[in-house]
Amino acid sequence: MGLITVSGEAGCRHEEVARLAAGRLGFQLLLEPELRNMIAQEFGAEAALPDKAYVPVVTSILARLATRHHLVVCAQGMEFLFKNQPWILRVHIVAPESRRVGALMVDHNLEREEARQLLRQVEFEDRRNRRRKFRRARAPLEAFDLVLSEEGMDSEPMAGIVEAAARAKGIEEQGLLAPAAEAHMQFQIRLQLSKYGISPPRDVSLKRVPFAHRSEEIFANLLDFYRIAWEYEPRSFVIQFDRDGKPLESFTPDFYLPEFDLYVELTTMKQAHVTKKNRKVKLLKSLYPHINIQVFYQKDFQNLIFKHGLHVEAPS
Amino acid sequence: MIIPPPGMERILFTEEEIQARIREVAGEISAKYQGRPLKLVGVLKGSVFFLTALAREISIPHKIDFLAISSFTSRSGPGVVRIAKDLDDPIEGEDVLLVEDIVDTGFTARYLLRTLAGREPNSLAICTLLDRTSSRIVQVPVEFRCFEIPDRFVVGFGLDYKQLYRNLGYVGVMNPDLAQ
Repeated sequence: MGLITVSGEAGCRHEEVARLAAGRLGFQLLLEPELRNMIAQEFGAEAALPDKAYVPVVTSILARLATRHHLVVCAQGMEFLFKNQPWILRVHIVAPESRRVGALMVDHNLEREEARQLLRQVEFEDRRNRRRKFRRARAPLEAFDLVLSEEGMDSEPMAGIVEAAARAKGIEEQGLLAPAAEAHMQFQIRLQLSKYGISPPRDVSLKRVPFAHRSEEIFANLLDFYRIAWEYEPRSFVIQFDRDGKPLESFTPDFYLPEFDLYVELTTMKQAHVTKKNRKVKLLKSLYPHINIQVFYQKDFQNLIFKHGLHVEAPS
Repeated sequence: MIIPPPGMERILFTEEEIQARIREVAGEISAKYQGRPLKLVGVLKGSVFFLTALAREISIPHKIDFLAISSFTSRSGPGVVRIAKDLDDPIEGEDVLLVEDIVDTGFTARYLLRTLAGREPNSLAICTLLDRTSSRIVQVPVEFRCFEIPDRFVVGFGLDYKQLYRNLGYVGVMNPDLAQ
């Protein structure tokens, strides 16, 4: 089992570092929203879990995933898990306050003073959540193997340092978590969770579907290039039901961009397919008005192709 | 007289229309930044023509600087966007106006805003010659725009096709299939 936890101060680009490091090492990336979804799917909404059950619940999920993947996990408080294990590398990203305020100014389109206030609020919430789930408001520096500063260093070199540290520590060489070790771990967790009437997860997995079309792969590369986090077809929405309320038709948007809470659908060259997709998007918007979706039309895609001098067929 | 490139379908904005609109936007910028330390930051290479025309119409004193970023290609592989040529001077305490030739998906603008925001400017805003909002995926605050354009491929006034046609005085719609 190779596990890298990446955390950061509020306003830092630790997610970006985690994503780049995962790409360099060929590890699977697990971000907070995906972890939250897994918890919700396996145990019900996170809010319904007793605070004290959070650590065993997350440990159980990570142990299950670790039988199949080496992981880079970027979620709050992960550095508190799996203490003193040789296969873990705990990374923390820090930055001067001015830089973190600047990041929030851009991400939330705020004036500097508003961004400063938001930073205070985010830090307060972060401390409160950590105290609730991990009984500690913050991790001491000695809880990390590696602390990196954004001052004077971009995400890419930081990811390079994480990669080098992981290789130097040999965490990948430890191999995946053996089924027997996982079973033992789950047994211990089952005992802990039984106090709260909760069972460990049955089967969590990180689905990695190959792209249906080369254009989707290029779009994913483009998002990677601009350091934008994405998930491929992470969720299907039922858009039509029969008289008994059973699902008749579903729609799975191509991409989800967690940072913007936005789904993106790439469209086809053929007008008939465009009309079909437009209908699905319209249905999705009417049934799920809180869902943000952006259709990236064939013309938009072509413009990208021309602009970057790429050669690819439009999506089908 | 510059010969129209092959594949040019129509002129979207004439030289006169562009100059007139730049004059209007420069007026808005001059009013907004009166008495403030304004710096125009151009993104190479596309914004050069627009920035020069804009700077000449802005009536208040201001500085200019340029930066360039690496380009995405299908061979970019696991690479990421980075600053290929950085600003010559710090922007701390200055009112920075990022000058772009075009904002479409918002990817480039977002990266640049995030990068510049960390350098403690007094304020940070975007001014673009062309804004293709229909292609926007990432929302970025465009404070000044000269023209909103449809989802067509355009060249001229700094915008290129395979590094050509930036020198056209107008902005035209091109069909790249016919430009080969």
